[in-house]
Amino acid sequence: MSMAAVASAPAPAARQGSADVVLNIEHVSLAFGGVKALTDVSFDIRAGEIRAIIGPNGAGKTSMLNVINGFYHPQEGTITFKGQKRAQMKPHDAAMQGIARTFQNIALFHGMSTLDNIMTGRGTLMKRNIFWQALWSGPAEREEIAHREAVEKIIDFLEIEHIRKVPVGRLPYGLQKRVELGRALAMEPSLLLLDEPMAGMNLEEKEDMSRFILDVNQQFGTTIALIEHDMGVVMDLSDRVVVLDYGKKIADGTPDAVRANQAVIDAYLGVPHD
Amino acid sequence: MSPAFLYFLETVLNGLMAGIMYSLVALGFVLIFKASGIFNFAQGVMALFAALTLVGLQTGQVPFSHLINAVFGTQIHHWGSGLHAIVAIGGTMAIMVAMAFVIERYVLKYLVNQEPIILFMATIGLAYFLEGLGDLMWGSDVKALDVGVPTGGSFWWEDVTREWAVEGSDYFGMYIDKLDVTATIVALALVIALSVFSQYTKMGRALRAVADDHQAALSVGISLRTIWIIVWSISGFVALVAGIMWGAKSGVQFSLSLIALKALPVLILGGFTSIPGAIVGGLIIGVGEKLAELYIGPLVGGAIENWFAYMLALAFLLFRPQGLFGEKIIERV
Repeated sequence: MSMAAVASAPAPAARQGSADVVLNIEHVSLAFGGVKALTDVSFDIRAGEIRAIIGPNGAGKTSMLNVINGFYHPQEGTITFKGQKRAQMKPHDAAMQGIARTFQNIALFHGMSTLDNIMTGRGTLMKRNIFWQALWSGPAEREEIAHREAVEKIIDFLEIEHIRKVPVGRLPYGLQKRVELGRALAMEPSLLLLDEPMAGMNLEEKEDMSRFILDVNQQFGTTIALIEHDMGVVMDLSDRVVVLDYGKKIADGTPDAVRANQAVIDAYLGVPHD
Repeated sequence: MSPAFLYFLETVLNGLMAGIMYSLVALGFVLIFKASGIFNFAQGVMALFAALTLVGLQTGQVPFSHLINAVFGTQIHHWGSGLHAIVAIGGTMAIMVAMAFVIERYVLKYLVNQEPIILFMATIGLAYFLEGLGDLMWGSDVKALDVGVPTGGSFWWEDVTREWAVEGSDYFGMYIDKLDVTATIVALALVIALSVFSQYTKMGRALRAVADDHQAALSVGISLRTIWIIVWSISGFVALVAGIMWGAKSGVQFSLSLIALKALPVLILGGFTSIPGAIVGGLIIGVGEKLAELYIGPLVGGAIENWFAYMLALAFLLFRPQGLFGEKIIERV
């Protein structure tokens, strides 16, 4: 989130052409006992793009995000992140490597202020160890102040200055979603996973959120994977769309191509059984 | 001032300081409960174990000497004249940190995502294990602990307060134990340090984050394992401080582990999740039981001090189950 990052952000037009793959998912299968959540799913996410993952309820979208950030470990398949094929990974390791996420049912620290919530996102970037922190002087103090400045920039960016000190448990839903996005942004992620960022929002809040997501993508060049049910939003925001149904990939392509795809139409509208 | 009023003052003052001693134990409970939702039954035994280890290191006892002598027929008991108090405290702290590692590695790791009651049962097991280990390592005799904390009544305060009494009364001044004063200062320093640490540092934020939401904490790169080790180390440190104060006051012996029981009403009053609550709860209990002993005691034949705290806790459970400072919805154990 430095100024250098802003300056080097690729121009929106260049995004489409970039074939630089950040995350490559190959033949991933995930089962819970006899329930198959994902079956042989493969797709990739390119640097700087907004990649939407859509599908009817229970299609395995959230499971997919949970696999990417290490909550679930697939039984089969490989995941390559930033050129490195990875072994089983714990969620905090994924965070350390630059994967940030938000949750479908907001997972914030309700007792803590907006500021503190976003500060927790800086944790992976803070290097001073616990002994310096216990003393809270010298290097640890300077580090704390530097990160605090970065957090203030994010707060400005998301236009939530007025709720900096408010415990997030008291905030309305839409603002909580925004704080959660702020916390993920604070990690300066190379891949940002958004699980239904606009669920339960009214039109105005959706428009705000869409604007923030686009700004993040265009100003900071952040690669984003998002799950969303509002098709209008998906078609407007995303560069490429992958469609899941019953844990299988049924389509992958540009929004227009996906919209015209017969399998996708069938999955959403249902097929007559005869 | 009339002697009766001065007696009242003395009782309140001593009650406050006795309360601080309870708070010291309650603090350890709150720390672990806040960060992991575990009610750590072993907190009292941890204080005992820390005090035993400290005395052992300070006097140069050989750990497990009884066991070694019984097996090999040797007569060893001490390896030298012992360590300086400061070095011994450092050594004990190192052992408490090592214990935190072992607890995470061999107990908590296997109980992730279990019901709180399961974790609670595990800490009961831990309490008995530590109790046995303490006996086995350092012997079960009553030991004196002297790390240079001043003890005994303060003559200075006695002289000062004697002047306060009305002319001609036979008032001899207030009694205040220097140890209690020291404990008060230490407890206050501890609370300020812990509050600053948890409010203004990355690790403190991580502790609060873990207490709030495990999944969200993981997603921002906080390792539960590290946090648990740190939390148990800190409460090991608090146990050590409590062990030093209580050990210096009443000797290091098995009954030290029972002070944990006195911490329970403190927690119910103050709330399981509040560090200031632990302090205020301790103060209320301390003052309450001393005053009750002085004024109600004679009416019912005395010994109120032994049960007053529990009665107060019961009343609180009826009318304000979350305690004075606790969060509204919390689980009871």
